[in-house]
Amino acid sequence: MLVPLTWLREYVDLDVPLEELAARIHTSVAEVERIVRRGVPDDDGNLDLYRAGRVVEAGKHPNADRLQLCQVDVGEGEPRQIVCGAWNFGAGATVAVALPGAVLPDGQKLEQAKLRGEVSKGMILSERELELGQDHTGILVLEDGPEPGTPLADVLPLSDTVLELETTPNRPDLLAVYGVAREVAALFDRPLEPWPGSDPERAGNEQIPVKVEDPEGCPRYIGRLFREVAVGPSPPWLRARLVSAGMRPISNVVDVTNYVMHALGNPLHAFDRQKLADGRIVVRRARKGETIRTLDGADRTLDERDLVIADAEKPVAIAGIMGSENSEVGESTAEVLLEAANFEPVAILRTSERLGLRTDGSNRWEKGVDPYLAEHAARLATELIVELTGARWLGEIDVKAELPKPPVIRLRPERASALLGLKVSPDQQRETLTRLGFEVSKRFDVTVPTWRARDVTREADLIEEVGRFRLDEISFTLPLRREMFGRLTKEQRLRRLVEETLVGAGLAEAYTSSLVPNDPEPNAIRLPEPLSADQAVLRTTLLPSLATAVERNVDAANDEIALFEIARVYLPPADPRPAERWRVAGILEGGYGRAKGVVETLHATLKLEPRFERGEHAFLHPGKTARTEAGFVGELHPARLDGSWGAFELDLGDLFGRVPDRLAYEDVITYPAVRQDLAFVVPEEVEAGELINAARAAAGPELRQVEIFDVYRGEQVGEGKKSIAFSVAFQSPERTLSDADAAALRQKIANTLAERFGAVLRSGT
Amino acid sequence: MTDNEATVAAVDWEAYERQFEGALKEVTSLDDLEKLRVEYLGRKSALAQALRDVRDRETGMRLNALRAKLQAGVDSCAGRLQAAALERELREEQLDVTLPGEHIPRGNYHLLTQIRREVEDIFLGLGYQVVDGDEVEDAWHLFDALNMGPAHVTRSPLHTLYLNGDIVLRTETSPSQIRVMEETKPPVYMVSLGRVYRRDTVDPTHFPIFHQVEGLAVDRGITLADLKGTLLHLARALFGEDREVRFATDFFPFTEPSMQASVSCFLCGGAGCRVCKESGWIEMGGSGVVDPNVLVNVGYDPEEVSGFAFGLGLERIAMLRHGVPDLRMFWENDLRFLRQF
Ligand SMILES: [Zn+2]
Repeated sequence: MLVPLTWLREYVDLDVPLEELAARIHTSVAEVERIVRRGVPDDDGNLDLYRAGRVVEAGKHPNADRLQLCQVDVGEGEPRQIVCGAWNFGAGATVAVALPGAVLPDGQKLEQAKLRGEVSKGMILSERELELGQDHTGILVLEDGPEPGTPLADVLPLSDTVLELETTPNRPDLLAVYGVAREVAALFDRPLEPWPGSDPERAGNEQIPVKVEDPEGCPRYIGRLFREVAVGPSPPWLRARLVSAGMRPISNVVDVTNYVMHALGNPLHAFDRQKLADGRIVVRRARKGETIRTLDGADRTLDERDLVIADAEKPVAIAGIMGSENSEVGESTAEVLLEAANFEPVAILRTSERLGLRTDGSNRWEKGVDPYLAEHAARLATELIVELTGARWLGEIDVKAELPKPPVIRLRPERASALLGLKVSPDQQRETLTRLGFEVSKRFDVTVPTWRARDVTREADLIEEVGRFRLDEISFTLPLRREMFGRLTKEQRLRRLVEETLVGAGLAEAYTSSLVPNDPEPNAIRLPEPLSADQAVLRTTLLPSLATAVERNVDAANDEIALFEIARVYLPPADPRPAERWRVAGILEGGYGRAKGVVETLHATLKLEPRFERGEHAFLHPGKTARTEAGFVGELHPARLDGSWGAFELDLGDLFGRVPDRLAYEDVITYPAVRQDLAFVVPEEVEAGELINAARAAAGPELRQVEIFDVYRGEQVGEGKKSIAFSVAFQSPERTLSDADAAALRQKIANTLAERFGAVLRSGT
Repeated sequence: MTDNEATVAAVDWEAYERQFEGALKEVTSLDDLEKLRVEYLGRKSALAQALRDVRDRETGMRLNALRAKLQAGVDSCAGRLQAAALERELREEQLDVTLPGEHIPRGNYHLLTQIRREVEDIFLGLGYQVVDGDEVEDAWHLFDALNMGPAHVTRSPLHTLYLNGDIVLRTETSPSQIRVMEETKPPVYMVSLGRVYRRDTVDPTHFPIFHQVEGLAVDRGITLADLKGTLLHLARALFGEDREVRFATDFFPFTEPSMQASVSCFLCGGAGCRVCKESGWIEMGGSGVVDPNVLVNVGYDPEEVSGFAFGLGLERIAMLRHGVPDLRMFWENDLRFLRQF
């Protein structure tokens, strides 16, 4: 919302520094995004160099066919010679002149110059050069010729300061200069001017046939009829206002509707009455398949949910959003039907979204405009149309359903103080609300003004009104907590521990997208309307995305690539919601061994002993994949990425579920361990993990440690066999194990392995 | 009196000791020390001979004491000389201490994890619990319970990613607040951090997935002033002790009053710079007093308890504080970027 300060000051007499005005609006009303200066810079006496001038003589430049050589009286006695490129004026015209030294709106400084051999002591200005409009075809001729030498700023709005506000969707009343003025008046305790606009005398009482078939979608429709309308350009003040407010001047009638919308917040529309079939207005839902060519030239197909303004035959506007070419006001228009209506937000929003058509009008309607505003808007527009187009106002109709009564809410001032944490006396609260247009009874029954009726419906909303005007006064405190203390859950603590372990092991943490192009799980959850094909599926595994991240680092020739991620996967079925599981995955240079080392370290940190078995995973090397209780470790399938990459993915829930809550002391100091090395010859297909699992089962807890330190193949062990060497430690927490005890344990292991795997004990020390 | 006794008696042991001490001071090498030891304590020394010949107990004790004393002198001198010799030797073994150390592979926390932990720790310190809510939510917990009616613009599939019917990818972490309140009685002090999803087109400041921290405090007597104090504490912890926080009115369906919190610029201190777009202030995030409708939706009595809530983006904190120019870098996982932090 652009708020030109000259416009704002028309409604509230205000003399505070700009900075302070902007700061207080920002805190209490709406974000001030920018402060923009429009037009001629008004510092260092620059405005004094802009004058009204009368053209005394005008003729062709002796050396250039396309230039005029003018003598212009700017109130100095002697006229100035000025060279000009436009021809839309002649001697006698009053024009806008900038003198040498003047800084133009675009920042350029005007110098005295020689053009094709003739001195030019100034510049005759066009509308666009003054940022008063878009027209640059000719220079600006001032009507009612002011005296030569008159400061231009006295007759034209040469410069303005514009506040650019980002208003919130609950405040359509702020999409109006008058609405902002109301807030400013309340903030600075200044009087607010009465509603602008008053009806001129009506010159007739013609009937206007208006039928509202959908009073829910259109609770109010004011139509006003004008004849003898002279469509033409608006006066400079109006054009300047529109430009400052970010709108393009078009013609006096259209400009008035835009001006009133911006002034009061009620969008208006003007129809060329003679183009309406039967001169009639019908507010109705569109018929399925009905089409309309909107003012932007697009043909649009409507359906039964779209509200339209129609004449006896066809839609002539999409209600609240955009008019149609078929009823547009143009140069030949002589009869105007002015629409000052009220539309319900939901239908407007839906239609505007469906058509992808957002306008200044729809933007206001979709937020909910006060139905009582229509009459003020009609009044101001009528006054201006009569004044600017010479039209006669001949008829009026106001079709309305029963308009909602303003809500009445009880406010407890002490509750407001308590909730804000700031003592605000009841009188102060009453004053704030009253300034904003609320009526506050003795008992604090508060009547909400109609322009806030949608937004303020409860006591909490009134408390906000009291609070937002004093946000800076509220102190900084902390809650007086009584029953809470902060701590991480077991899962959260263990997740941090996993992060720490992996970082300690040299892996860098990655963040990859939960939405992937595809997933190895055929039933993975697919978004019905994804953002893109690359973000279509909720992943069930982290490894593919992590492999992509690794690939990127390979391409970047980064060294020591080792990545991990802790994130969720989303397991089908979604009935109604998928199971979200936390996973940890890692990929690192160096193949299976390094990945398994990391996984073992991770288990050791968590005080877990993993069991490894041969496994299968779509993403991993079929010969180099192991399964654990919590997931997989293996080598990345070479088809996926060149080189040998260790990879793992573990389910943190499965992992953490087995982490003991408490670790009990065991005596590992008092009675020394007996350490031995055992080597077994086994058939090639027997896997070390199986031997270890069987050995543990056979020897029981007194087998404290068992680790593989060598695997040997060769003549000594024979074809199809291998020798696996273990280092074992036997230890009891209760007694010192004798050599005989150790020998017995060793024998148990040897017997079991011989029985189950045909293992032959090759040596034992 | 025998000869031997005469020998013992003939030696002036005090002088013997003085001479030893004097000679010991002159010793500069272990060889010299050994010579001295042989002379005064060796088998053929006067002291050794006297000890062999001594017959009376008193003299024996005196000479033994003397021998012990001299021996201690020798030992301590030897210790000194050895230490000095070692020191000399070590000085020869000079290393270029400016050469690099042995390479130890270094892992790294993602910057967003670092910030997540920082924020978690700040609130753990304030007595809040950390809640990981689900990312796939239903419309009740994401929208209705948070006072966003059926027409609310965020509900549109233009903003929100739907899985099916009412099931959506959360657009903020606040549904976990609803779930906690549904399951527990007040007081509630919690922060929820995690991934949220919006239908945003990827550009330097947008990614359809980002991370939020949302906080909630519901208790008896919670005020808007408590919200201001809490966010001031957070801002100072994240951006420096000199920071100030200011609030501006705003609108969110789940809070009333609603406010935008801004922190004074940590780079220019408020004078205005590129980071704060010359305003001196940087927007932190939305906040406000919990709307009574939200409390009613979870079965709390707004007359009994009140609360505040706030939400911030972790990426935004990271980008502002560390000057990261492009949001996409967080997801590209280029080790050159990751290892900077
Ligand atoms: Zn700054």
